[in-house]
Amino acid sequence: MAVYKRKYSPYVGSLTPERSRFFVLTRYAFADLFKSRAFVILLILALVPTLFYAGYIFLANNATAQLLLRMNGNGFAVDTEFFMVLVIVQTQVAFLLNCWVGPVLISGDLTNGALPLFLSRPFSRPEYVLGKLAVLALLLSAVTWIPGLLLFGLQSGLAADGWFWSHLWMTIPLVFCCAIWILMLSLISLAVSAWVKLRIVATGVIFISFLVPAGFGEIYNGIMGTYWGRLLNFTYLFRVMVTKGFGNPDRSAPEMPVFAAWLMMILVCVLALFVLNVRLRAREVVRG
Amino acid sequence: MMNPTIELDGLEVQLGGRRILQGLTGVLKSRAIGLLGPNGAGKSTLINTLLGFHAPSKGSARVFGLDSHTNGRSLRSLVGYMPENDAFISKMSGVRFVRYLAELSGLPRNQAMERAHEAFVYVGLGEARYRPVGTYSLGMKQLAKLAQAIAHGPKLLILDEPTNGMDPPARKRLIELICEIREASDICLLLSSHLLRDVEDTCDEVLILRNGRIASICNLVEERRANRKFLEMETFGAEESFTAALESLGCECAVFGNGRVKVVMPDGVEIREVFKVAADRGVQIRRMNHRRDSLEDIFLNAMEQTGVADGRI
Repeated sequence: MAVYKRKYSPYVGSLTPERSRFFVLTRYAFADLFKSRAFVILLILALVPTLFYAGYIFLANNATAQLLLRMNGNGFAVDTEFFMVLVIVQTQVAFLLNCWVGPVLISGDLTNGALPLFLSRPFSRPEYVLGKLAVLALLLSAVTWIPGLLLFGLQSGLAADGWFWSHLWMTIPLVFCCAIWILMLSLISLAVSAWVKLRIVATGVIFISFLVPAGFGEIYNGIMGTYWGRLLNFTYLFRVMVTKGFGNPDRSAPEMPVFAAWLMMILVCVLALFVLNVRLRAREVVRG
Repeated sequence: MMNPTIELDGLEVQLGGRRILQGLTGVLKSRAIGLLGPNGAGKSTLINTLLGFHAPSKGSARVFGLDSHTNGRSLRSLVGYMPENDAFISKMSGVRFVRYLAELSGLPRNQAMERAHEAFVYVGLGEARYRPVGTYSLGMKQLAKLAQAIAHGPKLLILDEPTNGMDPPARKRLIELICEIREASDICLLLSSHLLRDVEDTCDEVLILRNGRIASICNLVEERRANRKFLEMETFGAEESFTAALESLGCECAVFGNGRVKVVMPDGVEIREVFKVAADRGVQIRRMNHRRDSLEDIFLNAMEQTGVADGRI
């Protein structure tokens, strides 16, 4: 089927491995994202705090620099509190990034009925979701736990001998807390993207899905005199997980049991998967 | 032995609590199969079932011997699908769109790009390939859908109402393309259309559905061959000796008065010999037609059948 011949000929070449084909979706989605100047600016802004953290670590470990700045080591401590704050701040940055990227990932394919074209190939619905999920997972990882680990490495390199081994346990809550937050955010975004076609509306719905349940939860707490309403406050649940994960340093003890927080987040993920399962069909079936 | 293109074995599909396909049983062996039926007959449901989008509630459907439900993935790797409705990503350029889908079919990046360009030029959209698909006219979108269906070189091309919304020249061009694709390779074709002409021009075998059941399966090639053997004539002259002479050649003749004769010729007898017999007996042949039992007749007959079909042929 060479262009100049204008003849049809069947394809007889090699094929790519089936298990990695979902990554085609991820690659194309990233290519589209990086065409947007707004996205690039947002991504750079999301990484700016990491530079400040790195500068902070450098100062905390450099007596000469402290002397030059006449700070004498006061207020500089790279400890569990530092990494906990880092995780909390960066996951909120990830939330904003997710609100920009997530809403367009699936809606673009559903708006003009392209989904049957994907699913009429040797390509399943779980692979489709995986391909789209990988976009958010990679992107949000790049602004949360990956810089977190790099900063941990930087601190380990600059700090005195033994700091690395005595603080190695922190990498576990750092990665796991970020991972569950990223998973939940991504699945909520994809579920919203599968329902709402307009980007601005979808972004609004993502914000609403975090703010409105939290509000209802507080009303419920107010009426019933309990704290279980906070199960609907995802940001609070995440904070519970992080403070518990980092050994609850210098903070008032969270009321919510940490297992309830984990359970609720997993439940939200399952709910989002259910929504995706309903929406991502090659053909809609009209009941009745 | 080669597997038939499509095998239906008591296929039943329920959607939303309604039985859409009811016990379809049949074997379609031709390379180009037409799917006909009025609205709601179950054509698209059958296509979607063959693609594995719907699970059969009873029975099975096989394509090239692969079960559509249990071997859906392997089956879909052999298929190129052009859906009836709009199916595109509006902001993507045409060639990137086709390349994207070709990569999902398993083509490596460079080959996918190459095949996408070739497919676009082949369907006649070479000049428009860098434009976003959303800016295409309806006819161009149909051609873009065809390009994505053929780019990865499928073994079965499923076309659901391919000429929808196309003007007559564009329709003619698309039908020519489909015929060309069919002739240029060993690709099989399943074409669903409301336009009998489209099916007649491109297909060798036709499956007619009515109310979710098979109304008829007709081999158009055999039908055409049979029609070539059936002559209707208006003659003037020695009618009886003419028919007797034809019968001595092995023809079956029926005389209807006023010189009207119908003749079924056996294999090996050509029309030339009929003219010779007529000339020998001084009979004038004033009109001669092959019977043309067109697809429209076959379709209408299938639709007019009374009683409930049992879904079998």
